[in-house]
Amino acid sequence: MKFRFLLVLAALALTAAAAYSSTITVLVQETALRKRAQSYAPSVGTARLGQKFESSGLEAGFHKTPSGYVHSSAVTERKVRLGSADSVGGGASAEEVTLAGKGFNAQVEKSYGDKSAVNFSAVNAMERRTASESELFAFLRAGGLLPEGGAK
Amino acid sequence: MNRLALPLVLLFSGCAGLKSLDVSSMSGGRLQSVDFAKVAKGVNQLRKGFADISESEEHFIGRAVAAQVLTRYRPLNDPGLNAYAQKVAQAVALASDRPATFKGYHVQILDTSEVNAFAAPGGFLFVTKGLLQLVKSEDELAGVLAHEVAHVAKKHGLKTIQTSRLTSAFTTLGSEAAKSYTPQQVSQLTTAFEGAVEDVVNKLVVNGYSRDKEYEADEFAAQYAKAANYDPGALKTFLARLDKFQGDSGGMFKTHPPAAKREVELGTQSPSSAYKRSSERGRRFSAAVQL
Repeated sequence: MKFRFLLVLAALALTAAAAYSSTITVLVQETALRKRAQSYAPSVGTARLGQKFESSGLEAGFHKTPSGYVHSSAVTERKVRLGSADSVGGGASAEEVTLAGKGFNAQVEKSYGDKSAVNFSAVNAMERRTASESELFAFLRAGGLLPEGGAK
Repeated sequence: MNRLALPLVLLFSGCAGLKSLDVSSMSGGRLQSVDFAKVAKGVNQLRKGFADISESEEHFIGRAVAAQVLTRYRPLNDPGLNAYAQKVAQAVALASDRPATFKGYHVQILDTSEVNAFAAPGGFLFVTKGLLQLVKSEDELAGVLAHEVAHVAKKHGLKTIQTSRLTSAFTTLGSEAAKSYTPQQVSQLTTAFEGAVEDVVNKLVVNGYSRDKEYEADEFAAQYAKAANYDPGALKTFLARLDKFQGDSGGMFKTHPPAAKREVELGTQSPSSAYKRSSERGRRFSAAVQL
């Protein structure tokens, strides 16, 4: 009985090793899900903070998920244990702190801003400045910067 | 449980993607699941250093550093130029090994004749009007902005924060399980936050990063520019011009290694096979950068 149990486990181990699969969690406000494992591939959707995807493997720095390719720097493969700020406590990881909005957050920034005479309104204006994907790709295309096969 | 845990760990230690396993049916309900990381390490540990700063915390540190920069330097009110620099920065950031930060990359031109450029954690990039006057093409600007993106991607700013400040902040978080902090806890966190921001600002504006970090940023800048199909050699062309510049000795000249030394460290850079010269890049650069 014990031998059969170990045999089943060994078979499971081999299967798991062959078929890489892990749950990834998005750690940025939003990032593109792309058609191919390439920064210039068109987006097929948006991955948002805290969303989870099943990754079937890494290709050129991108996780392959059923919803599209997402860059590995925007996600974590580590197990994230919480869904709300209430459960963040002693052993919280950096990932859990981000998802709970704890640590250095807006509350701390407000306290810091009240103490220091610094220009957060200019930072807010700076943060509003961004080029949409369509604007950026048009800029790249016009400047001869899109690689072969990009943004099609 | 321990008798089962050991063979399980041994069996699955070679499976890179496997972090936990539901074994309740196989073990007759004695084990619900095995978290291999926990079994191997014993307990989940508190955060300790700069590498444990979360994405959102990096963003808030970056915002405060940016606020300090924008208090010392006046932002240039030129929507066309700022929007142009923003697109060039996003182009090279997209080709970097960190294309997405918590809330993305943002650029602001600073209205000063000082020759300088900064990057605050989280993706806040600054270029001075004085530096732009020395830049002669979009490819050179891409090289300069890629250098700043590299500082963000390699977390050079966060690495300057004293560990003691982080330990203090992490400890405060560690004792807290409620949704909002008490006034005393906010005060403790704000003190640590203030110190962390000061560490980064001092490094960016006053002392400069170590030479190794500047050379590393140049090396990755060339890689990002090449991956974005800009000419990676344009950064070297800009550095050669910077080396000949006879002007203010502050700003970048004080906080960066000598441009001639950076040129040597950078070595020869060849464009990608997809690189194309473009009259449109020249046209739009001239239209946007009129200083």
